[in-house]
Amino acid sequence: MSGRVIVITSGKGGVGKTTTNANIGTALARAGKKVVMIDTDLGLRNLDLLLGLENRIVYTIVDVVEGRCKLKQALVKDKKNPNLCLLAAAQTRDKSAVTEEQLKEICEKLQKDYDFILVDCPAGIEQGFQNAVAGASEAIVVTTPEMSAVRDADRIIGLLEAKEEIKSYKLLINRVRPNLIKSNDMMSVDDVVEILSADLIGIIPEDTGIITSTNKGEPIVNDEKSLAGKAYNNVARRIMGEDVPFLNLEEETGVMAKVKKFFSGLVGKEK
Amino acid sequence: MKDIFAEFYNKVIGFFRRTEAEEESSKDVARNRLRVVLMQDRTNLTPELMEKMRKELIELLSKYVEMDKEALELNLEQEGDQMALMLSIPVLRAKEESEIEESADNAETESEEEADAQTDIDEEETGESDENADEEEVSGEDDSDDDSDDEDEFENDACDCGKCEKCNPKNKKNK
Repeated sequence: MSGRVIVITSGKGGVGKTTTNANIGTALARAGKKVVMIDTDLGLRNLDLLLGLENRIVYTIVDVVEGRCKLKQALVKDKKNPNLCLLAAAQTRDKSAVTEEQLKEICEKLQKDYDFILVDCPAGIEQGFQNAVAGASEAIVVTTPEMSAVRDADRIIGLLEAKEEIKSYKLLINRVRPNLIKSNDMMSVDDVVEILSADLIGIIPEDTGIITSTNKGEPIVNDEKSLAGKAYNNVARRIMGEDVPFLNLEEETGVMAKVKKFFSGLVGKEK
Repeated sequence: MKDIFAEFYNKVIGFFRRTEAEEESSKDVARNRLRVVLMQDRTNLTPELMEKMRKELIELLSKYVEMDKEALELNLEQEGDQMALMLSIPVLRAKEESEIEESADNAETESEEEADAQTDIDEEETGESDENADEEEVSGEDDSDDDSDDEDEFENDACDCGKCEKCNPKNKKNK
Protein backbone atom coordinates (compact mmCIF):
# COMPACT_ATOMS: atom_id res chain seq x y z
CA MET A 1 0.00 0.00 0.00
CA SER A 2 1.17 3.51 -0.67
CA GLY A 3 -1.02 6.05 1.03
CA ARG A 4 -1.62 9.60 -0.07
CA VAL A 5 -0.02 12.30 2.01
CA ILE A 6 -2.15 15.45 2.06
CA VAL A 7 -1.12 18.59 3.88
CA ILE A 8 -3.86 20.92 5.07
CA THR A 9 -2.62 24.47 5.18
CA SER A 10 -3.81 28.07 5.00
CA GLY A 11 -1.24 30.68 5.85
CA LYS A 12 -3.60 32.61 8.06
CA GLY A 13 -4.58 31.23 11.45
CA GLY A 14 -8.14 30.67 12.57
CA VAL A 15 -9.64 29.83 9.20
CA GLY A 16 -10.33 26.23 10.19
CA LYS A 17 -7.33 24.13 9.20
CA THR A 18 -7.52 21.89 12.22
CA THR A 19 -11.30 21.58 12.06
CA THR A 20 -11.00 20.68 8.40
CA ASN A 21 -8.34 18.13 9.19
CA ALA A 22 -10.36 16.48 11.95
CA ASN A 23 -13.49 16.31 9.83
CA ILE A 24 -11.98 15.13 6.57
CA GLY A 25 -9.97 12.54 8.48
CA THR A 26 -13.02 11.29 10.33
CA ALA A 27 -15.11 11.23 7.15
CA LEU A 28 -12.46 9.24 5.28
CA ALA A 29 -12.21 6.79 8.17
CA ARG A 30 -15.99 6.42 8.27
CA ALA A 31 -15.83 5.53 4.59
CA GLY A 32 -13.58 2.64 5.53
CA LYS A 33 -10.20 4.15 4.74
CA LYS A 34 -7.26 3.80 7.08
CA VAL A 35 -6.35 7.31 8.12
CA VAL A 36 -3.63 8.83 10.25
CA MET A 37 -3.48 12.51 11.10
CA ILE A 38 -0.27 14.22 12.01
CA ASP A 39 -0.40 17.40 14.05
CA THR A 40 2.73 19.38 13.19
CA ASP A 41 1.77 22.46 15.15
CA LEU A 42 4.45 21.93 17.79
CA GLY A 43 3.81 23.98 20.88
CA LEU A 44 0.24 24.85 19.89
CA ARG A 45 -1.39 21.50 19.39
CA ASN A 46 -5.15 21.35 19.03
CA LEU A 47 -6.07 18.47 16.78
CA ASP A 48 -6.23 16.18 19.82
CA LEU A 49 -8.89 18.43 21.36
CA LEU A 50 -11.10 18.45 18.28
CA LEU A 51 -10.99 14.67 18.22
CA GLY A 52 -11.49 14.34 21.96
CA LEU A 53 -8.23 12.45 22.34
CA GLU A 54 -6.36 14.85 24.59
CA ASN A 55 -6.33 12.51 27.56
CA ARG A 56 -4.97 9.55 25.69
CA ILE A 57 -1.75 11.00 24.40
CA VAL A 58 1.28 9.27 25.81
CA TYR A 59 3.91 9.90 23.17
CA THR A 60 4.20 12.71 20.64
CA ILE A 61 5.91 13.18 17.31
CA VAL A 62 8.95 14.58 19.11
CA ASP A 63 9.25 11.39 21.16
CA VAL A 64 9.26 9.44 17.92
CA VAL A 65 11.88 11.65 16.34
CA GLU A 66 14.10 11.57 19.40
CA GLY A 67 13.82 7.80 19.71
CA ARG A 68 11.93 7.54 22.98
CA CYS A 69 9.29 5.33 21.40
CA LYS A 70 8.42 3.55 18.20
CA LEU A 71 6.24 5.23 15.62
CA LYS A 72 3.41 2.76 16.20
CA GLN A 73 3.41 3.37 19.94
CA ALA A 74 2.82 7.06 19.40
CA LEU A 75 -0.28 6.61 17.24
CA VAL A 76 -3.41 7.27 19.30
CA LYS A 77 -6.46 5.35 18.12
CA ASP A 78 -9.76 7.21 17.86
CA LYS A 79 -12.46 6.35 20.39
CA LYS A 80 -15.09 5.42 17.86
CA ASN A 81 -13.30 4.57 14.70
CA PRO A 82 -10.48 2.03 14.70
CA ASN A 83 -9.52 3.17 11.19
CA LEU A 84 -8.51 6.56 12.49
CA CYS A 85 -5.49 7.54 14.53
CA LEU A 86 -3.53 10.59 15.52
CA LEU A 87 0.14 11.37 15.82
CA ALA A 88 0.05 14.28 18.24
CA ALA A 89 2.33 17.30 18.38
CA ALA A 90 4.43 18.01 21.44
CA GLN A 91 3.03 20.84 23.48
CA THR A 92 6.22 21.75 25.29
CA ARG A 93 8.57 22.13 22.33
CA ASP A 94 8.89 24.53 19.43
CA LYS A 95 8.90 24.08 15.66
CA SER A 96 12.60 23.31 15.49
CA ALA A 97 12.23 20.03 17.41
CA VAL A 98 11.38 18.21 14.17
CA THR A 99 13.09 18.72 10.81
CA GLU A 100 11.79 18.42 7.27
CA GLU A 101 13.71 15.20 6.71
CA GLN A 102 12.35 13.63 9.86
CA LEU A 103 8.78 14.43 8.91
CA LYS A 104 9.35 13.10 5.43
CA GLU A 105 10.66 9.86 6.91
CA ILE A 106 7.64 9.51 9.20
CA CYS A 107 5.26 10.08 6.29
CA GLU A 108 7.07 7.49 4.19
CA LYS A 109 6.79 4.91 6.96
CA LEU A 110 3.10 5.61 7.50
CA GLN A 111 2.36 5.40 3.79
CA LYS A 112 2.94 1.67 3.97
CA ASP A 113 0.11 1.03 6.42
CA TYR A 114 -2.40 3.81 5.79
CA ASP A 115 -4.52 5.01 2.88
CA PHE A 116 -4.40 8.63 3.91
CA ILE A 117 -1.92 10.66 5.92
CA LEU A 118 -3.36 14.08 6.71
CA VAL A 119 -0.81 16.61 7.89
CA ASP A 120 -2.14 19.50 9.94
CA CYS A 121 0.03 22.49 9.19
CA PRO A 122 0.65 25.38 11.59
CA ALA A 123 -0.27 28.91 10.54
CA GLY A 124 2.43 31.02 8.96
CA ILE A 125 4.98 30.43 6.23
CA GLU A 126 7.99 29.76 8.41
CA GLN A 127 9.74 26.54 9.32
CA GLY A 128 6.58 24.92 10.67
CA PHE A 129 4.98 25.23 7.25
CA GLN A 130 8.08 23.96 5.49
CA ASN A 131 8.16 20.93 7.79
CA ALA A 132 4.50 20.10 7.31
CA VAL A 133 4.75 20.30 3.54
CA ALA A 134 7.96 18.30 3.34
CA GLY A 135 6.41 14.84 3.26
CA ALA A 136 3.25 15.68 1.31
CA SER A 137 2.46 15.30 -2.36
CA GLU A 138 -0.97 16.92 -2.25
CA ALA A 139 -2.29 19.98 -0.47
CA ILE A 140 -5.61 21.43 0.57
CA VAL A 141 -5.52 25.19 1.01
CA VAL A 142 -8.15 26.35 3.47
CA THR A 143 -9.41 29.89 3.23
CA THR A 144 -12.49 31.95 4.08
CA PRO A 145 -14.16 34.61 1.94
CA GLU A 146 -12.31 37.34 3.80
CA MET A 147 -9.59 39.53 2.36
CA SER A 148 -6.85 38.63 4.78
CA ALA A 149 -7.45 34.90 4.48
CA VAL A 150 -7.56 35.06 0.68
CA ARG A 151 -4.38 37.07 0.53
CA ASP A 152 -2.57 34.59 2.75
CA ALA A 153 -3.95 31.70 0.73
CA ASP A 154 -2.53 33.31 -2.40
CA ARG A 155 0.88 33.47 -0.77
CA ILE A 156 0.64 29.83 0.28
CA ILE A 157 -0.39 28.79 -3.21
CA GLY A 158 2.66 30.59 -4.57
CA LEU A 159 4.89 28.68 -2.16
CA LEU A 160 3.20 25.36 -2.96
CA GLU A 161 3.63 25.91 -6.68
CA ALA A 162 7.35 26.35 -6.13
CA LYS A 163 7.57 22.94 -4.46
CA GLU A 164 8.26 20.04 -6.77
CA GLU A 165 6.97 17.44 -4.34
CA ILE A 166 3.48 18.98 -4.30
CA LYS A 167 1.75 17.50 -7.31
CA SER A 168 -1.63 19.12 -6.82
CA TYR A 169 -3.39 21.53 -4.54
CA LYS A 170 -7.08 22.22 -4.03
CA LEU A 171 -8.98 25.04 -2.47
CA LEU A 172 -11.43 24.65 0.40
CA ILE A 173 -13.53 27.69 1.25
CA ASN A 174 -14.62 27.61 4.85
CA ARG A 175 -17.06 29.61 6.92
CA VAL A 176 -19.15 30.68 3.97
CA ARG A 177 -22.15 32.76 4.97
CA PRO A 178 -24.80 32.62 2.25
CA ASN A 179 -26.81 35.43 3.84
CA LEU A 180 -23.91 37.84 3.63
CA ILE A 181 -23.09 36.77 0.11
CA LYS A 182 -26.67 37.30 -0.93
CA SER A 183 -26.66 40.82 0.46
CA ASN A 184 -23.33 41.53 -1.27
CA ASP A 185 -21.51 41.90 2.02
CA MET A 186 -19.21 38.95 1.53
CA MET A 187 -17.20 37.76 -1.42
CA SER A 188 -18.85 34.79 -3.06
CA VAL A 189 -17.23 31.42 -3.61
CA ASP A 190 -16.90 32.29 -7.29
CA ASP A 191 -15.13 35.54 -6.45
CA VAL A 192 -12.57 33.73 -4.31
CA VAL A 193 -12.04 30.97 -6.84
CA GLU A 194 -11.59 33.50 -9.60
CA ILE A 195 -9.13 35.60 -7.63
CA LEU A 196 -7.02 32.63 -6.58
CA SER A 197 -7.59 30.69 -9.82
CA ALA A 198 -7.41 27.35 -8.05
CA ASP A 199 -9.52 24.19 -8.23
CA LEU A 200 -12.20 23.94 -5.62
CA ILE A 201 -12.61 20.85 -3.45
CA GLY A 202 -15.10 22.08 -0.89
CA ILE A 203 -17.43 24.81 0.28
CA ILE A 204 -18.21 24.68 3.98
CA PRO A 205 -20.96 26.87 5.40
CA GLU A 206 -20.50 28.69 8.67
CA ASP A 207 -22.16 26.50 11.26
CA THR A 208 -22.64 27.07 14.96
CA GLY A 209 -22.60 23.30 15.27
CA ILE A 210 -18.82 23.49 14.80
CA ILE A 211 -18.52 25.22 18.14
CA THR A 212 -20.58 22.64 20.01
CA SER A 213 -18.85 19.79 18.24
CA THR A 214 -15.49 21.21 19.27
CA ASN A 215 -16.78 21.55 22.82
CA LYS A 216 -17.59 17.87 22.83
CA GLY A 217 -14.50 16.75 20.99
CA GLU A 218 -16.52 15.15 18.26
CA PRO A 219 -16.05 16.12 14.62
CA ILE A 220 -19.21 17.46 13.05
CA VAL A 221 -19.20 14.87 10.25
CA ASN A 222 -20.54 12.46 12.87
CA ASP A 223 -23.70 14.56 12.99
CA GLU A 224 -25.53 13.61 9.86
CA LYS A 225 -28.06 16.40 10.06
CA SER A 226 -25.48 19.16 10.09
CA LEU A 227 -24.92 21.00 6.84
CA ALA A 228 -21.24 21.63 7.56
CA GLY A 229 -20.90 17.94 8.34
CA LYS A 230 -22.48 17.07 5.03
CA ALA A 231 -20.19 19.46 3.23
CA TYR A 232 -17.11 17.92 4.88
CA ASN A 233 -18.35 14.46 3.98
CA ASN A 234 -18.60 15.57 0.39
CA VAL A 235 -15.03 16.83 0.49
CA ALA A 236 -13.89 13.42 1.69
CA ARG A 237 -15.77 11.76 -1.16
CA ARG A 238 -14.19 14.11 -3.67
CA ILE A 239 -10.77 13.26 -2.24
CA MET A 240 -11.58 9.61 -2.87
CA GLY A 241 -12.28 10.45 -6.48
CA GLU A 242 -16.06 10.65 -6.48
CA ASP A 243 -17.76 13.35 -8.49
CA VAL A 244 -20.01 15.04 -5.92
CA PRO A 245 -21.86 18.24 -6.75
CA PHE A 246 -21.37 21.17 -4.39
CA LEU A 247 -24.16 21.86 -1.91
CA ASN A 248 -26.40 24.68 -2.95
CA LEU A 249 -26.00 26.79 0.15
CA GLU A 250 -27.88 29.81 -1.11
CA GLU A 251 -31.12 27.98 -1.70
CA GLU A 252 -31.14 25.71 1.30
CA THR A 253 -29.68 27.62 4.18
CA GLY A 254 -30.21 31.13 2.91
CA VAL A 255 -33.93 31.02 3.51
CA MET A 256 -33.89 28.63 6.43
CA ALA A 257 -31.26 30.55 8.29
CA LYS A 258 -33.23 33.73 7.89
CA VAL A 259 -36.39 32.10 9.14
CA LYS A 260 -34.49 30.71 12.09
CA LYS A 261 -32.96 34.06 12.76
CA PHE A 262 -36.34 35.70 12.51
CA PHE A 263 -37.92 33.30 14.97
CA SER A 264 -34.99 33.25 17.32
CA GLY A 265 -35.17 37.01 17.27
CA LEU A 266 -38.80 36.83 18.38
CA VAL A 267 -38.15 34.27 21.06
CA GLY A 268 -34.82 35.78 21.97
CA LYS A 269 -33.22 32.41 22.41
CA GLU A 270 -31.43 30.13 20.00
CA LYS A 271 -32.56 26.57 19.35
CA MET B 1 -46.25 29.15 7.26
CA LYS B 2 -42.48 29.35 7.49
CA ASP B 3 -42.26 30.06 3.80
CA ILE B 4 -44.61 32.98 4.01
CA PHE B 5 -42.56 34.45 6.81
CA ALA B 6 -39.37 33.88 4.88
CA GLU B 7 -40.68 35.53 1.77
CA PHE B 8 -41.89 38.50 3.72
CA TYR B 9 -38.59 38.77 5.55
CA ASN B 10 -36.63 38.58 2.30
CA LYS B 11 -38.76 41.27 0.70
CA VAL B 12 -38.35 43.66 3.59
CA ILE B 13 -34.64 43.02 3.87
CA GLY B 14 -34.25 43.16 0.11
CA PHE B 15 -35.92 46.55 0.00
CA PHE B 16 -33.57 48.04 2.56
CA ARG B 17 -30.50 46.40 1.09
CA ARG B 18 -31.22 47.76 -2.34
CA THR B 19 -31.45 51.32 -1.16
CA GLU B 20 -28.36 50.93 1.00
CA ALA B 21 -26.18 49.34 -1.61
CA GLU B 22 -26.77 51.83 -4.36
CA GLU B 23 -23.10 52.79 -4.53
CA GLU B 24 -20.68 49.88 -4.22
CA SER B 25 -21.25 46.87 -2.04
CA SER B 26 -18.62 46.05 0.56
CA LYS B 27 -18.02 42.81 -1.27
CA ASP B 28 -17.01 44.70 -4.41
CA VAL B 29 -14.76 46.95 -2.39
CA ALA B 30 -13.12 43.89 -0.86
CA ARG B 31 -12.70 42.20 -4.20
CA ASN B 32 -11.14 45.21 -5.85
CA ARG B 33 -8.81 45.96 -2.97
CA LEU B 34 -7.78 42.35 -2.87
CA ARG B 35 -7.05 42.27 -6.59
CA VAL B 36 -4.73 45.24 -6.35
CA VAL B 37 -2.94 43.97 -3.28
CA LEU B 38 -2.50 40.48 -4.74
CA MET B 39 -1.02 41.83 -7.91
CA GLN B 40 1.51 43.74 -5.87
CA ASP B 41 2.22 40.65 -3.79
CA ARG B 42 2.64 38.41 -6.79
CA THR B 43 4.94 40.69 -8.74
CA ASN B 44 6.80 42.23 -5.84
CA LEU B 45 6.06 45.59 -7.42
CA THR B 46 5.66 48.00 -4.54
CA PRO B 47 3.81 51.29 -4.94
CA GLU B 48 7.17 53.07 -4.67
CA LEU B 49 8.57 51.09 -7.55
CA MET B 50 5.49 51.79 -9.63
CA GLU B 51 5.87 55.50 -8.94
CA LYS B 52 9.53 55.39 -9.93
CA MET B 53 8.66 53.55 -13.10
CA ARG B 54 5.95 56.09 -13.86
CA LYS B 55 8.33 58.98 -13.47
CA GLU B 56 10.97 57.42 -15.67
CA LEU B 57 8.44 56.56 -18.32
CA ILE B 58 7.22 60.15 -18.36
CA GLU B 59 10.78 61.32 -18.71
CA LEU B 60 11.43 58.96 -21.57
CA LEU B 61 8.19 59.50 -23.42
CA SER B 62 8.16 63.24 -23.17
CA LYS B 63 11.07 63.27 -25.57
CA TYR B 64 8.67 62.17 -28.26
CA VAL B 65 5.25 63.41 -27.32
CA GLU B 66 3.74 66.22 -25.40
CA MET B 67 1.34 64.73 -22.92
CA ASP B 68 -0.80 65.37 -19.91
CA LYS B 69 1.68 64.20 -17.31
CA GLU B 70 -0.82 64.30 -14.46
CA ALA B 71 -3.27 62.07 -16.25
CA LEU B 72 -0.77 59.39 -17.24
CA GLU B 73 -1.87 56.11 -15.74
CA LEU B 74 0.25 53.07 -15.09
CA ASN B 75 -1.58 50.09 -13.67
CA LEU B 76 -1.08 46.42 -13.14
CA GLU B 77 -4.01 44.48 -14.42
CA GLN B 78 -4.86 40.85 -14.58
CA GLU B 79 -6.46 39.13 -17.50
CA GLY B 80 -6.96 35.47 -16.77
CA ASP B 81 -3.63 34.03 -15.78
CA GLN B 82 -1.63 36.83 -17.33
CA MET B 83 -0.48 39.92 -15.59
CA ALA B 84 -0.11 43.03 -17.70
CA LEU B 85 1.15 46.54 -17.13
CA MET B 86 -1.35 48.91 -18.65
CA LEU B 87 -0.04 52.31 -19.61
CA SER B 88 -2.46 54.98 -20.61
CA ILE B 89 -0.95 58.18 -21.93
CA PRO B 90 -3.15 61.13 -22.87
CA VAL B 91 -1.22 62.61 -25.81
CA LEU B 92 -1.60 66.30 -26.48
CA ARG B 93 0.51 66.25 -29.62
CA ALA B 94 3.41 64.41 -31.15
CA LYS B 95 6.63 66.35 -31.21
CA GLU B 96 8.26 67.58 -34.39
CA GLU B 97 11.22 65.60 -35.59
CA SER B 98 13.53 68.49 -34.99
CA GLU B 99 12.36 68.73 -31.38
CA ILE B 100 12.93 65.04 -30.87
CA GLU B 101 16.45 65.16 -32.20
CA GLU B 102 17.18 68.08 -29.97
CA SER B 103 16.13 66.39 -26.79
CA ALA B 104 17.08 62.83 -27.61
CA ASP B 105 20.76 62.55 -28.31
CA ASN B 106 21.03 58.94 -27.29
CA ALA B 107 18.22 57.95 -29.62
CA GLU B 108 16.13 54.88 -28.91
CA THR B 109 14.44 53.58 -31.99
CA GLU B 110 11.99 51.18 -30.30
CA SER B 111 9.87 53.89 -28.83
CA GLU B 112 7.65 54.49 -31.84
CA GLU B 113 5.18 51.98 -30.48
CA GLU B 114 5.22 53.54 -27.09
CA ALA B 115 3.92 56.78 -28.46
CA ASP B 116 0.56 55.13 -29.02
CA ALA B 117 -2.05 56.36 -26.66
CA GLN B 118 -2.69 52.85 -25.26
CA THR B 119 0.24 50.57 -24.79
CA ASP B 120 0.48 47.08 -23.40
CA ILE B 121 3.82 46.28 -21.95
CA ASP B 122 4.80 42.88 -20.74
CA GLU B 123 6.55 42.72 -17.43
CA GLU B 124 9.75 41.57 -19.02
CA GLU B 125 9.78 44.39 -21.47
CA THR B 126 9.26 46.98 -18.82
CA GLY B 127 11.98 45.30 -16.82
CA GLU B 128 14.29 45.94 -19.72
CA SER B 129 13.20 49.48 -20.26
CA ASP B 130 13.67 50.05 -16.56
CA GLU B 131 17.23 48.86 -16.82
CA ASN B 132 17.77 50.97 -19.88
CA ALA B 133 16.59 53.98 -18.01
CA ASP B 134 19.09 53.20 -15.27
CA GLU B 135 21.84 52.98 -17.81
CA GLU B 136 20.89 56.34 -19.16
CA GLU B 137 21.27 57.94 -15.81
CA VAL B 138 24.72 56.40 -15.72
CA SER B 139 26.15 56.80 -12.33
CA GLY B 140 28.17 53.67 -11.81
CA GLU B 141 27.75 53.59 -8.05
CA ASP B 142 24.00 53.79 -8.11
CA ASP B 143 23.84 50.97 -10.55
CA SER B 144 25.90 48.59 -8.48
CA ASP B 145 23.98 49.53 -5.36
CA ASP B 146 20.72 48.67 -7.06
CA ASP B 147 22.06 45.33 -8.13
CA SER B 148 23.19 44.30 -4.70
CA ASP B 149 19.84 45.32 -3.26
CA ASP B 150 18.13 43.05 -5.71
CA GLU B 151 20.34 40.17 -4.72
CA ASP B 152 19.55 40.69 -1.06
CA GLU B 153 15.88 40.44 -1.82
CA PHE B 154 16.38 37.18 -3.59
CA GLU B 155 18.33 35.74 -0.69
CA ASN B 156 15.50 36.55 1.67
CA ASP B 157 13.07 34.87 -0.66
CA ALA B 158 15.21 31.80 -0.86
CA CYS B 159 15.25 31.62 2.93
CA ASP B 160 11.48 31.29 2.91
CA CYS B 161 11.79 27.99 1.16
CA GLY B 162 13.70 26.53 4.06
CA LYS B 163 16.04 24.71 1.76
CA CYS B 164 18.82 27.23 1.92
CA GLU B 165 21.71 26.94 4.32
CA LYS B 166 20.37 29.62 6.63
CA CYS B 167 17.44 27.50 7.75
CA ASN B 168 18.83 24.02 7.89
CA PRO B 169 21.93 24.27 10.09
CA LYS B 170 19.81 25.80 12.85
CA ASN B 171 17.63 22.75 12.94
CA LYS B 172 20.54 20.43 13.06
CA LYS B 173 22.01 22.21 16.02
CA ASN B 174 18.82 21.74 17.99
CA LYS B 175 18.62 18.11 17.20
